[in-house]
Amino acid sequence: MNWIWFHKLGSPKWFFQWANKWSKFAFVIGVLMLSIGIVWGLGFAPADYQQGNSFRIIYIHVPTAILAQSCYLGLGVAGLVSLVWRMKMAPVFIKAVAPLGAVMALIALLSGAIWGKPTWGAWWVWDARLTSVLILFLLYMGVIAIQNSLDDLQLADKAVAVISVVGLINLPIIKYSVEWWNTLHQPATFSVTEAPAMPMAMWLPLLLSTLGMYGFIAAVAMWRMQTEVLIREHRSNWVKKEILDNGI
Amino acid sequence: MTYLSFFNSEVLAIFRRKQDAVNALVFFLLVITLFPLGVSPSKEFLQPAAGGIIWCAVALAILMSVEGMFKEDYNDGSLEQLVVSGLYLPVLILLKLVVQWCAVMLPLLILMPILSQMLFINWEILWVLILTLIIGSPALFLIGTIGAALTVSLRRGAVLMLLIILPFYLPVIIFSTGAIGAAQVGQPYNGQLAILAAISLMTLTLSPIMAAVSIKASVN
Repeated sequence: MNWIWFHKLGSPKWFFQWANKWSKFAFVIGVLMLSIGIVWGLGFAPADYQQGNSFRIIYIHVPTAILAQSCYLGLGVAGLVSLVWRMKMAPVFIKAVAPLGAVMALIALLSGAIWGKPTWGAWWVWDARLTSVLILFLLYMGVIAIQNSLDDLQLADKAVAVISVVGLINLPIIKYSVEWWNTLHQPATFSVTEAPAMPMAMWLPLLLSTLGMYGFIAAVAMWRMQTEVLIREHRSNWVKKEILDNGI
Repeated sequence: MTYLSFFNSEVLAIFRRKQDAVNALVFFLLVITLFPLGVSPSKEFLQPAAGGIIWCAVALAILMSVEGMFKEDYNDGSLEQLVVSGLYLPVLILLKLVVQWCAVMLPLLILMPILSQMLFINWEILWVLILTLIIGSPALFLIGTIGAALTVSLRRGAVLMLLIILPFYLPVIIFSTGAIGAAQVGQPYNGQLAILAAISLMTLTLSPIMAAVSIKASVN
């Protein structure tokens, strides 16, 4: 497999132009799938035989929860890339994605609480998954806090990279420790190896809204990264040319 | 400078700054005192909760003591000297940690029998508690070092360090209180102890290197 395209993304200029091309595409596809998935799920999918209509919040809850975890995985990988290969774009990625992940985790928590009220009878229970998402949210807030507190850009980049890598290694430990500690939540909704337990008419819109959420977040992340690249590279010639030619 | 001379100087420095270790100890006692006053002094509450109370207090006290670990060295420039000394930085950090561990944990462990009486812990459970402290606390020190190294250049890094490090402490707290809880109801607790040891060993391999990376970035 040819990896040149990947290495090229390490260059801010190349990334900027690449993101120009792909971000709109990802955004349109993402929003399209997300809106189809949500409208289908909220309006047309069959109601659950036990939970009735309240289960429909799954179409918001599950995509955001999955994204919250995926973003953290991305953070950890980017941290590793930043520490080992010192690619310029890795810290930019971390800085751009950490707040998005935090928002995703927060939405997952809030929608979970709203879902929990009719099904479990309580806004919050100290269940393993709820708790680990809460911890995930706190980890994100830590990354954001250290990014904002350190004035020296290089030090801040190093610091968030270290914390992201440590967090990535610790995440499974935290997850399993919390899981052993207490469990009430239903098992995972998506599984790669098993056939879905819910009927197709419920599962397809969920898949669509999850994929759509990926596209949407990818687009927003690219835009945030582009902004960060412009800030960091504002002295270089290609940025001046870019702004003179295309405006902001 | 050799590793041995560095170790000696660290021991000497800790002895000259006894107040730091005393502070951690007093802080620990204060946190413990909050619970009977804040919730309930009854035996029914304290006995089952004692393990958790002690472990939360220990985690906070360790964070407090680790937070200032590099601060003095950073301010007077000796941290830079360590980086350029030609010695392997992770080992130096590890030596520093060993000294720090002894200064904080040994008095704490000696204090434990008295505290266990105040919180109505049985003698058999006290033994488990001490075991979890010995096995689990290295992980807390090691993880805390990363935070201390990251925030060393900040004048007020304590809160920030608390924010980023405390989530990583949760597994250690869960498993050690789990072991104590299991012992209290007469179940085997070997599994929890083994996991605690595994976490400590894993952080032993990882965190000196990560702390060294952060220190090098901080003294740049």
